[in-house]
Amino acid sequence: MNRRNLLTTALALGAALTCGSAAQAQFKPTRPLELVVHSGPGGGNDVMGRALIAAIDDAKLSPVRIQINNKVGGGGATAASYLADKKGDPNVIAIFTSVWITNPLVQQEANVSMRDLTPISLMVLEPALIAVRADSPYKSMNELMDAAKANPGKMKQSGGSPLARDALVRTVLQAKTGGRWAFISFPSGGERISALLGGHVDMMVIEPQEAGELMRSGKLRALAQVADARLPEFKDIPTLKEAGYDVPNPPQPRGIVGPPGMAPDVLAYYVDLIARANKSPGWQKFLRDGLLEEKLLAPKETAEFLAGTETQMRSILTESGVKLVR
Amino acid sequence: MDIMAGLAHGFSVALMPGNLLWCFVGCFLGTVIGILPGLGPAATIAMLLPMTYSMSPTSGIIMLTGIYYGAKYGGSTTSILLNMPGESSSVVTCIDGYQMARKGRAGAALGIAAIASFIAGSFGIVALSVMAPMISDFALSFSSPEYFALMALGLALVVLLAGDSLVKGLIALLIGLWLTSIGTDLFTSQSRFTFGQASLLSGLDFMVVAIGVFAITEVLSSISEKEETQLLPVPKGLRNLLPSWEELKACRFAFANGSIVGFIIGVLPGAGASIASFISYGIERAFSRHPEKFGTGIPEGVAAPEGANNADTGGALIPLLTLGIPGGGTTAILLSALVLWGVKPGPLMMTESPDIFWGLVASLYIGNVMLLILNLPMVPLFAQILRIPVFVLHPLIFGVSVIGAYSVAGRVFDIILLAGFGALGFAMSRLKFPVAPLVLGFVLGDAMERALRQSLMMSQGDLSILTSRPISAVMLAAAVAVLFLPLLPHFRRLKAAAG
Repeated sequence: MNRRNLLTTALALGAALTCGSAAQAQFKPTRPLELVVHSGPGGGNDVMGRALIAAIDDAKLSPVRIQINNKVGGGGATAASYLADKKGDPNVIAIFTSVWITNPLVQQEANVSMRDLTPISLMVLEPALIAVRADSPYKSMNELMDAAKANPGKMKQSGGSPLARDALVRTVLQAKTGGRWAFISFPSGGERISALLGGHVDMMVIEPQEAGELMRSGKLRALAQVADARLPEFKDIPTLKEAGYDVPNPPQPRGIVGPPGMAPDVLAYYVDLIARANKSPGWQKFLRDGLLEEKLLAPKETAEFLAGTETQMRSILTESGVKLVR
Repeated sequence: MDIMAGLAHGFSVALMPGNLLWCFVGCFLGTVIGILPGLGPAATIAMLLPMTYSMSPTSGIIMLTGIYYGAKYGGSTTSILLNMPGESSSVVTCIDGYQMARKGRAGAALGIAAIASFIAGSFGIVALSVMAPMISDFALSFSSPEYFALMALGLALVVLLAGDSLVKGLIALLIGLWLTSIGTDLFTSQSRFTFGQASLLSGLDFMVVAIGVFAITEVLSSISEKEETQLLPVPKGLRNLLPSWEELKACRFAFANGSIVGFIIGVLPGAGASIASFISYGIERAFSRHPEKFGTGIPEGVAAPEGANNADTGGALIPLLTLGIPGGGTTAILLSALVLWGVKPGPLMMTESPDIFWGLVASLYIGNVMLLILNLPMVPLFAQILRIPVFVLHPLIFGVSVIGAYSVAGRVFDIILLAGFGALGFAMSRLKFPVAPLVLGFVLGDAMERALRQSLMMSQGDLSILTSRPISAVMLAAAVAVLFLPLLPHFRRLKAAAG
């Protein structure tokens, strides 16, 4: 697809979203753009944001500079309310992740939901692996789940917050198998992996990029992939469904969102920018090195994806006993 | 590749002119951002990351790591001169460092900080080159019960930091423990003490608390005491600006203590340089022949924490380089940098990318020497800052504090908090409450609560998990000993009275 084609598609989509308004003037930014991320410098979103900007700069896709603005706090709530306050501002966009969906469900203070904002593009889905230590007695998903059923509550999984994807994977697996095991929260990925490598817990839902080298050096063994299809880098490892566990895969999405009331021509501009950035060599390399799954969606599909994810999260969170406030 | 051959290869890489230059750039930048409060190495490295895409991974990692350890050198400068910690790992340095400055020994304190940093930093690097693979197994054997015991030991040190009144010390500690519990609970995702404020969901930042209760409080106190126009005496003559032989000799044990404690705690992914500096300070005091002098401005009180936070670097790089596991915020960015450059950090990096592994290790030796050369001549210059009259210096400290608090997360809310903590610290100093226990409680409380809850989840509620594991049992016993240590003289007196 060439550039003009993409642009027309994007424009059409933008127009469709605003219920078919007439042809608009083209938006072209003249001031530096602001890319809001909810993590501090070096956090997952921050690194993604900087990689995206570097890819856009390398391919010379933007006439103006794009700056990162770290709006840290409240697990995304600060960034979301900052964006909500920028109603109609054409110079600011943000990176969203799944916490932008889950946080408003469980925290009274987080009062901006994705429905209040303008979804622009889903960009990435992060796959995950279910891993055990290399010398663990469990060689397959079946053995692991059978052990969990035989010793209810005895086995342990290291992970992050109870809202994070790894906790959700546990919830759906427990519901499917009837097994029960403990979920122990650690604030950083390093501590989670250390707990697994040190043999203090039995399993972990781990990001492929974190696990790759530990698997290659024979310290970890992956039993299944939390993904709809096998990743090219791990073609010998079955997906959860292939391993016999047909459960919904809780997604870990990352994408671009704008402030409320974004004008159609502005939306079209960003859709086009992101589509071209997505094709750029710098971004493709970032996806390859980070073992991330490319998933570019248009605004309407992104909004549908977000709504579907919210429904799914609601039921998973309720099932795992987390109190919902909205 | 054995160690000597590896190091030799590493030096051949690190001594290439380009890499040497990048090492210097990193160390220099690190020193500068270390001096600036608020802006930390993690943020700086993240901002410079895009600039390194065009560099070779070896030069890139050498420069970015230079920022990481350079910041720890620079962090002590404002702690000593202005009672304003430049980095979270230099907070403890305020306690004795600033008191030394008040006594006219600012230059000596800065010199001791630089020398302690060099000695302990070098120890950490040698330990990293010699024991990296072995020690990573030790790091992994540490789990939640051990972390709980380590934090308990640290918290027990409060009795040593309490000053005149143990009760007041304990009250200050409880305030610190409460402050650290504000925010979102990791285990349930429920908010605690946030009063409906979204800005409090992620909790309070340590730097905001520390700058408030140290720097702002100090300015408020000296304004209210109407001191003379010059804040502190600065002696004339270069000789009086450098540490004396006696002062250096008094630090012998502190150098060793800081080196070992800093390195061991650095290796653990769940602790960090701030915890290492507190524990090293506490140990120094526990074994001192004159513990009552701590807090009045003695060189050991600077050497131990400054040594510990630099030895921490060598330790913290071990899990990163041998397992690909980052122990803290800054090492996490170094890890993402390696990934972005296409290097695969993990157990095989040492053999598959010897240029990067050994090049980096060798650059640490070089950078450490560079930092000493960079920092020592600056000592007399920095000490002159105190010649600035207070009507200039006080607004300056206020301004730098506000910028520092704002630059932590770019929020105006943190400036309001800073004012609040300044007022709290001022009230405490008026009522003769020590502020160090508050800061200690804030640093350790969060990690300690987490470790306890993790331990109990692991053992399904059985407390014996804390005492049945050897490392944890030994540390808990030490904590109990520290708690009862100050009571010994009382017992002796009672016995004497009875006999």
